[in-house]
Amino acid sequence: MSDIVTAAAPAARTGLPWGRWWNQLRAVVRLELRKGFRRSFGLLLLALAPISIVVLRMIVPHGVQDPSSVEGATQFYSGLYQAFFMRIVIFLACVSIFGNLIRRETLDRSLHYYFLSPVRRELLVVAKYLTGLIVSFGLFGVATVFSFLLAYLPHQPEAVSRFFFHGPGLEHLASYLLVTFLACVGYGAVFLFFGFFFKSPALPALAVFGLEGINFLLPPLLKKVSVIHYLQSLCPVQMSEGPIAILADAPAPWVSVLGLLTLAVVLIAVSAWKIRHMEITYDEA
Amino acid sequence: MNAGKLSTGDRQVTFENVSKFYGDVLGVNRVNLSIPPGITGLVGPNGSGKTTLMNLMVGLIRPSRGRVSVFGLGPDDPEGLFRLVGYAAQYDSFPPGLNGYQFVESYLRVHGFSAKESEALAWKAIERVGLTEAAGRKVAGYSKGMRQRIRLAQALSHEPSVLVLDEPLNGLDPMARAEAIALFRELADGGLHVIVSSHILHEVDLISDQVVLIHGGYIVAEGDIGDVRDEMEEDHPVQVLVRCDRPSLLASRVFEADHVVEARILEDGQGLLVRTRDADSFHLALNRIVLENGLAVDGVAPADSDVNAVYQYLIGSNGEKQ
Repeated sequence: MSDIVTAAAPAARTGLPWGRWWNQLRAVVRLELRKGFRRSFGLLLLALAPISIVVLRMIVPHGVQDPSSVEGATQFYSGLYQAFFMRIVIFLACVSIFGNLIRRETLDRSLHYYFLSPVRRELLVVAKYLTGLIVSFGLFGVATVFSFLLAYLPHQPEAVSRFFFHGPGLEHLASYLLVTFLACVGYGAVFLFFGFFFKSPALPALAVFGLEGINFLLPPLLKKVSVIHYLQSLCPVQMSEGPIAILADAPAPWVSVLGLLTLAVVLIAVSAWKIRHMEITYDEA
Repeated sequence: MNAGKLSTGDRQVTFENVSKFYGDVLGVNRVNLSIPPGITGLVGPNGSGKTTLMNLMVGLIRPSRGRVSVFGLGPDDPEGLFRLVGYAAQYDSFPPGLNGYQFVESYLRVHGFSAKESEALAWKAIERVGLTEAAGRKVAGYSKGMRQRIRLAQALSHEPSVLVLDEPLNGLDPMARAEAIALFRELADGGLHVIVSSHILHEVDLISDQVVLIHGGYIVAEGDIGDVRDEMEEDHPVQVLVRCDRPSLLASRVFEADHVVEARILEDGQGLLVRTRDADSFHLALNRIVLENGLAVDGVAPADSDVNAVYQYLIGSNGEKQ
């Protein structure tokens, strides 16, 4: 049995820290994907929801007003994306995915297995966040592409071809994908953070949902502390917010992208600080 | 950090004046311990602070006061600490959806082992706990004993130098229990620190090289159980059972010694129960009496030197430290 002591230095430990951290990060992501998102029917239903609405528009009588023009599809998709997909679908998915990254393991009492591994807890937070991003953007990025393409399907092929290959079609698609990604980045970081600081992330999530919902009524200064304000500004087609909306200048695209990325980095850093001082006391969960 | 390069003095698990409070509730208080290699039994009733001590050891909880270190490493250095330490916690819970092999292998990958190393180490650990055939089945379908064994496999899979096991024999059938005890002994003989908690005193007595007796969050005794018992001779005279053919004669002779406080002939008339404040002197005197009087002695055995008796003496009937 003497090999037990001397075997305490496997090859994996002798590499540079960045190499080892990369391997550990991949291992955590692999394990999280394996155990956390096996039967996520709820998430699948959420991803299918906008696609279903687009399909409904295709099959209901007079759903498509003028098949010869893609303008109707552009307006329809813009409304669908900003009012439903971005505000509700991605929001709820991020609550479910990121809010439970730590919470779920506290409830099923399996978080200690990570805490008993020679892995930096900060790295654990980053790996979990990345897992959430992979799942959320993987699912809702695909849903964005499908729903966007399906929205133009009922229209005349010549008009659609012109829109995509000689017009702004692909640019719109790229913008929506960017917004989906940044929504996952921003909301993901917010709900990961909530998972550390609230026993149940549902209540703070509801508060954020309310604030994001009435964003158009908020004064310009308060708009700046919401995620939706920056996401909306990146959408390729701006929607009217109604006659009672309080108007504010849309931030520049680089400000929106940088702002959301900065928000995510700050919240992840605070979460990492929190997990470093976290104790395993499941009885209080 | 290579544990093999450390001197014996560095290869200790130490608690320096450690206290842990959960709000106003005492977990453990003013613990000073130094745990050497071998099997150390952590003994105490439920709620005495055993799990708190173990969780402090591995950093799952932090001390309110004092310092805990394993081979000089503290919980703020998880990358160093958990290469040396394996912990099978008492929580009977597992990540969902994994089979036994995936459970062990996945966390080896998190340790930083390559896929090939992880596979080899996982199978080795699973084989050691006798779960090879069940490794492909979901852990959720395991019996309690199997879950206990797969947790043990996971704890020892990275071949740690310190193995901390919280109530590891719970839920095991007698055969598995014997195998687990043999495995602990094998690991300890290989130079490991095996720290085992139990509330079943005779179980710990059987397997431990040294014991730590804990009650109400306080360490009431530690060390080799025989040494602990010897230190208590003044307040709690040692009981020795002597099986012989003429117990009356033996009783009259042993009473000549000052250290003998009681000698009681057994109901079957085939032996004597002696209480003495100096066991070593008694055994010398016994040899002399037997030779001088030609007594036929069938056996001499301590009657209250096990952990159970020691614990009862230390704690007292009212459960307070004496």
